[in-house]
Amino acid sequence: MKIAREDIVHLASLSNFSLSDQEIESLGKDLEDIIGYISQLNELNTDDIEPTYQVFEMENVWRPDEIIVQEAERESLLALTKEEKDHQIKVPKVL
Amino acid sequence: MKYTPTIGIECHVQLSTKTKLFSEVDNDARGKEPNSCVSPVDYALPGMLPRLNGEAIKFAIRAGKAMNCEINRSSRFDRKHYFYPDSPKGYQITQFYAPIIGAGYVELPSGTKIRIEHAHLEGDAGKLTHFDSYSLVDLNRVDTPLIEIVSMPDIHSAKEAHDYCKELWRLMCFAGVTHGDLYNGNMRFDVNISLAPEGAEKLGTRAEIKNLNSFRSVERAVEYEITRQTKILDAGEKVVQETRGWSDATGKTTPQRSKEEAKDYRYMPEPDIPPINLTDELIEAEAAKLPLMPVDYRKRFTGSINNDILEILLDYPELMRKMSEIDEKYIKSIANLFTSVLLAEEKSVEYLSSLPDAKDLNELAQMNEQKELSSTATKEVFLRLFDPQMKGRGAKNIAKELGLMQENDLGALEAIVDAVLAKSETKKAQDDFRNGEEKVIGFLVGQVMKESKGKANPSAVQEILRKKLS
Repeated sequence: MKIAREDIVHLASLSNFSLSDQEIESLGKDLEDIIGYISQLNELNTDDIEPTYQVFEMENVWRPDEIIVQEAERESLLALTKEEKDHQIKVPKVL
Repeated sequence: MKYTPTIGIECHVQLSTKTKLFSEVDNDARGKEPNSCVSPVDYALPGMLPRLNGEAIKFAIRAGKAMNCEINRSSRFDRKHYFYPDSPKGYQITQFYAPIIGAGYVELPSGTKIRIEHAHLEGDAGKLTHFDSYSLVDLNRVDTPLIEIVSMPDIHSAKEAHDYCKELWRLMCFAGVTHGDLYNGNMRFDVNISLAPEGAEKLGTRAEIKNLNSFRSVERAVEYEITRQTKILDAGEKVVQETRGWSDATGKTTPQRSKEEAKDYRYMPEPDIPPINLTDELIEAEAAKLPLMPVDYRKRFTGSINNDILEILLDYPELMRKMSEIDEKYIKSIANLFTSVLLAEEKSVEYLSSLPDAKDLNELAQMNEQKELSSTATKEVFLRLFDPQMKGRGAKNIAKELGLMQENDLGALEAIVDAVLAKSETKKAQDDFRNGEEKVIGFLVGQVMKESKGKANPSAVQEILRKKLS
């Protein structure tokens, strides 16, 4: 499957990645390889087979609704962000 | 030309669980510092695993049942990807393919049924505050559990849109799944609206008005859109399919800057959260926890409470529960007392947090019925019954302490009447009355009331006066 250059640019913009021309090139090739590899599965007949949504066969993994005091404190978490102001995370203006 | 509006509404309801949907953090950030109810999971730090709050599942079941919905035995979560600072994960965990709540309906006070398409569980986003050159992010709201309720396009007027939103709010409040505080965004509405020529089968192009947070805004925004779209269609032009924002201040909707990539969410199954598979037993157990709902109270009180008053009282679940403890014959008078307080007293919220005991209310209504208390005195005692300091003392004792009990003892009343009639300043009025001047009876009753310091029962006084002056 051929991946168009615009597809890579579009995907990058959705995730807010800025890519160099070279990266666009190589990522396109990587994606083609990945999709090509996965496409082998198309040879199988999957009619009437439920899609697999998870492979661990777990269900209903629920926790009780009880507050647990967090070890990570507010300031140490905020310190991980690039910029902080008035106990909030400061980001470039968004609309 | 005449057009028929077709309206569908999506409503986000914040659930009032103790913790968030995917982390063990306090879900009630009201009045708390920004970023103080946040865990490493909410920050989406590498390696963090979301853990599903079982209580949110149960809340969703109750919410679904409150809307007469099917509960799907099997549901699961998906990732909805988007890049925005209100979501550190870069995606929202939602239920795109297999929601927990299936089809149902909401019955409006008018009896109209609005069908529910489905409702799903998802995490809320963080809160952004915008400044001139930057924005600030508060993650307290990240992954507060939401249910998004999607209606069918069954709504056809601004009034109906208003009534639907209000009824949804009541259902969620009665079901006890939300704080229902609209001012703080506990419920938010997105309205899809299109116009088509009357009788046409094909629907028109729709506009979506996002993020309305009051019933009144919903109503006004729909009214505005109907007018705007009518003008466009009458001019032979086409309505643009777009997202619009509403301003309460200007009373207008305006196009919002649309992100080109807005619809490209690249949904995928959420691998961190195993599917939800519900048993009939669990669903029934949760459904059984639902208290009486507005529709039940409407059935029960129709005939005893005037419809308009009932619809006012139905905004207050605790109050309705109290009403169901009131003796049948006093329901009407107690309903009227509550309404007068809710409409007239500025502190209605304060009042509602400390409702009187049903026993006192029944006692109060009985005193009024037996004319031991005038209607003014009844209201005065009623107000005291909300006072935590006073209410333990009982309605009768409060009335006595305040000296509000009416004098009904005919012997005692007669003595007061005689004393008043003996006064020289009432002589002229007595003569006038005997000469057929009917209205001076009011003056004489007033004199007796004054003499009794307001405690006499005025209708009994009038009766005695008429007898004595005949």
